[in-house]
Amino acid sequence: MTMIEFFSFLPYGKYAFYVWLAYGISALTIIALFVTARRNHFNTLSSLSNKYSRIK
Amino acid sequence: MWKWIQRQASPKVFYHTCNRLVPWFFWPFITLLIVGLYWSLVISPADYQQGDGYRIIFIHVPSAILSMMVYAVMAIAGGIGLIWQIKMAEVVAKVSAPIGAGFTVIALATGAIWGKPMWGAWWVWDARLTSELVLLFLYLAYMSLNSAFDNPRTAAKSSSILAIVGLINLPIIHYSVKWWNTLHQGYSVGTGGIKDPDMQIALALMFVASILLYALLVTIKARTEVIIREQNSRWVEEEVRSLMS
Repeated sequence: MTMIEFFSFLPYGKYAFYVWLAYGISALTIIALFVTARRNHFNTLSSLSNKYSRIK
Repeated sequence: MWKWIQRQASPKVFYHTCNRLVPWFFWPFITLLIVGLYWSLVISPADYQQGDGYRIIFIHVPSAILSMMVYAVMAIAGGIGLIWQIKMAEVVAKVSAPIGAGFTVIALATGAIWGKPMWGAWWVWDARLTSELVLLFLYLAYMSLNSAFDNPRTAAKSSSILAIVGLINLPIIHYSVKWWNTLHQGYSVGTGGIKDPDMQIALALMFVASILLYALLVTIKARTEVIIREQNSRWVEEEVRSLMS
């Protein structure tokens, strides 16, 4: 049984594997952009707040 | 309006503008994304040649257009930074690069996944695909050049020149399906492209949602970048202290 047959229970039948794989990869890429932006922001805030508390 | 734009050259003003704009981009983005996905996956009919496989178009085309638009914005902002020495333009250019690279990855990946059932191959060395891959490499080169310098001003100067030189690739990508005989299908938007009104609405919704996504990510990432660059200013110290307490 191929991947294409396995995923054909989903909407769009014989194209289901390709369509959902494309949408899935796009969703993951966009989520990754948000996650890295958020992590960067909090890492910056915490390292700067450490820096400021060392100075004072 | 012009006054308002000029005031954004101040890091503090720009930071607060970004803060204020985030919800104004976030909620329209989410709304248009949900409506657009519903229109793309449910309302739009199947294609007469490609069946349901064509539905990849609703992410492939917007992300491909955005990958080029973001590059243009990045090069123009870099140019503004070079000519008028506006630091906030450098910030916009720098934070745009990973977002544009993300859109390029989506365009290439969805294109490959679409190519397999329609052409029988994940990848061919065709003009459109190759020039889009070059765009991804340009983004990666920009990002590595930008991070190779300790001084953000020097980094912005050298990487902006790279971005401006790379602009030459944009017309090559756009006209590649006309100039060369390629496997890639012709223009989907405009004459001879998709004609079904529901497909056009779905594509338009996803396109506007992608623009909002770009704007949202820029405002989110620019805040971090401004804080890093202005870390020795009084207002940044106060802002960080109030955010961390």
